[in-house]
Amino acid sequence: MIAWETALAAPRDPAPAALPLAKEELLRRFHPDHAPGAMVALRVGASAGQDCPAELALLLHANALVEDVDIAGRPTLDAEVLVLGGGGAGCVAALTAARAGARVLMATKLRMGDGNTVMAEGGIQAAIGAEDSLQRHLEDTLRAGHFRADKKLVAAMVADGPDAIRWLIRQGMEFDLEDGEDRIGGRLRRKQPGGATAARLLSHRDFTGLELMRVIREAVLLTPGITVLERCPAVELLTDPHGRCAGAVLLDLERRALVLARAGATLLATGGAGRLHLSGFPTSNHYGATADGLVLAYRLGARLREIESFQYHPTGIAWPPHLAGTLISEAARAAGATLFNGEGRRFVDELAPRDVVAAAILREIAEGRAVQREGCAGVLLDTPGLEAAEPGILAKRLVTLTHLAKRAGFDAGRQPFLIRPTLHYQNGGIAIDATGGTDIPGLFCAGEASGGLHGLNRLMGNALLELVAFGRRAGAAAAEAGREERPRGIGLTHLAAWERGLVAAGLPLGTRAPMLFPPYGNVDLAAMLRRRGAAA
Amino acid sequence: MATDTPLCLTVDGHAIAAAPGASLIQAWLAAGLPLVENVGCMGQGVCGACRVLVRRQGERIATAALACETRVEAGMQVAFIDHFPARRAHAYDLDAMGDSWAALAQIDAVFPEAKHCRHCGGCDAACPKGIAVEQAVAMAVEGRALAAGALFDHCVMCNLCVAACPEHIAPAHLGQFLRRMASSLTLRPGDLIQRLAQIEAGGQAIDLDAPGCGP
Repeated sequence: MIAWETALAAPRDPAPAALPLAKEELLRRFHPDHAPGAMVALRVGASAGQDCPAELALLLHANALVEDVDIAGRPTLDAEVLVLGGGGAGCVAALTAARAGARVLMATKLRMGDGNTVMAEGGIQAAIGAEDSLQRHLEDTLRAGHFRADKKLVAAMVADGPDAIRWLIRQGMEFDLEDGEDRIGGRLRRKQPGGATAARLLSHRDFTGLELMRVIREAVLLTPGITVLERCPAVELLTDPHGRCAGAVLLDLERRALVLARAGATLLATGGAGRLHLSGFPTSNHYGATADGLVLAYRLGARLREIESFQYHPTGIAWPPHLAGTLISEAARAAGATLFNGEGRRFVDELAPRDVVAAAILREIAEGRAVQREGCAGVLLDTPGLEAAEPGILAKRLVTLTHLAKRAGFDAGRQPFLIRPTLHYQNGGIAIDATGGTDIPGLFCAGEASGGLHGLNRLMGNALLELVAFGRRAGAAAAEAGREERPRGIGLTHLAAWERGLVAAGLPLGTRAPMLFPPYGNVDLAAMLRRRGAAA
Repeated sequence: MATDTPLCLTVDGHAIAAAPGASLIQAWLAAGLPLVENVGCMGQGVCGACRVLVRRQGERIATAALACETRVEAGMQVAFIDHFPARRAHAYDLDAMGDSWAALAQIDAVFPEAKHCRHCGGCDAACPKGIAVEQAVAMAVEGRALAAGALFDHCVMCNLCVAACPEHIAPAHLGQFLRRMASSLTLRPGDLIQRLAQIEAGGQAIDLDAPGCGP
């Protein structure tokens, strides 16, 4: 390990680095997905036998928080489409379903918008360049995902790309134009995402997710036909006697009371799992990213895919400790910022796919070439070098990064960031088809909770595209399915079979999930549910 | 960096000790207090959920801030501001705006309160992002839609300006209206439109069996 002052003083060699190991070898030895003990095989459920991170398996192997007696006589809300989750995918789906004429109920654990979407910085991919094509976007996505994504789903996503941008502009979202270009007829600014073969990333400065989220949240607030329930996480899905999903049991956090939401179609848009802190990693995710949707869908019999694959974003903050895990956008590297180890050498192509760059950084740390500052180890993101090469870029195009440096107590134009990988994205998720439908009748899924679009590694800018493309697809399909169905005889009939499965697998019945809040949130969920029981 | 001596402060009536350098949210969690609301992005400062009033030692006036972006100081008094829905919706439908000649008139039609601004500065003082809210409202009233909307570029929709405004102007939502109107009426990228036309004409076929689709 090299001391911070020594590393800063070391001369930097700007020569690009060839990858020291074959890509597969690098990933196998240094990517956290492949660390010994990181994965266990699932022992129960539709994907039994599949590898899964140990922390997540604990939740997928758990019993429900509620049983039949808890929901008897609870107040019931009715909707045609119930959307669980109020981030980007949930809002796009709710808008689409409501505009298709469905009565929509949207329930969210935090407030609408307080999810990962609003935090997305880099941008959204869409193949609009004259030299680019939908085919190229498809092939880039499949290759970056190590050919494990579902080709048909990816084809649907990339084909929706340009129209997704038009849709977003219609909702009132702003995109950056190239310098000097006109608002009518001009060219959009395009950046090249790491791992892509064309400049395909469209953005609004370096807070594209904030721009997207505030626009569609406003649209949801103003669209008739959508009722929003904030601070109401789902704790279990409801079923009808035929095994069709018929809504969800919600926990109203303000009243500490259970509410039943009955719906012809239910759409999971519950996002990711960063707050499980897999392998002890810090995370860039919001406070509520605890895999709730995976737990609920899995208990109902839905298949999961590529759940063994998570994305560690290469550039999380390593120092200062109070910002550890906070993301520095890939936009910095896309704009030309380079990475240096403690010896002043570059060690990876900064625009290689994220899994490769993250593994390369972890290798530098593991092999003693990292920089250490006040006990925090990482490598250098050379923002001063970027500013010198392109004066003014930090203030103008990397606003969030510049602000972040200020909060960390330094000037990004004069001092590099100390960075290390941070747990960022769930590459897999609940298996879906091209309409967002899951294996369970009446249950749809969109956004980070769904699986199949990214294989084993997601390209920058494909998360925002996915949530718009599949938010719209799933929202439309749910509206159609929800209007046809009037659920009857709703309950928790699926739990009997689930408990039998747990017993057969030798798993305890007393472990409960979803967790809703990370352990350091000091929330005693069991006590909250018991108190409600006692009051009833 | 400061020393590791804990700093004492009060948050929502709880006297807590916190490590120097911690954000208010981190201090709350480290003190063992439960957190189920008024939290979101946990440090990026973009979701606007963790709004607090902060009074620093020796100061008379409390100021608004985001708890994830504010570091603990000795003697601070902190109170979370619960979120609340706006009391009146300023309803509009972008798709129904139709003729862009009528757009500017819509500003007054949807936000009639804006012209009653009494220049009290409450919105400017409340904004944790340093946006010139009052100036933006004045520009909106003059019809300078794009320029006023641009001033809200960094807005995280925390709605503190909405709470602060005695005239119920809802400045953050006025800002969103102007920005959304600008994009939906005037952003027409040529490269995007060409690609859409190409797709609609069948000129962008996808081949799932192309060599590039497999290892």
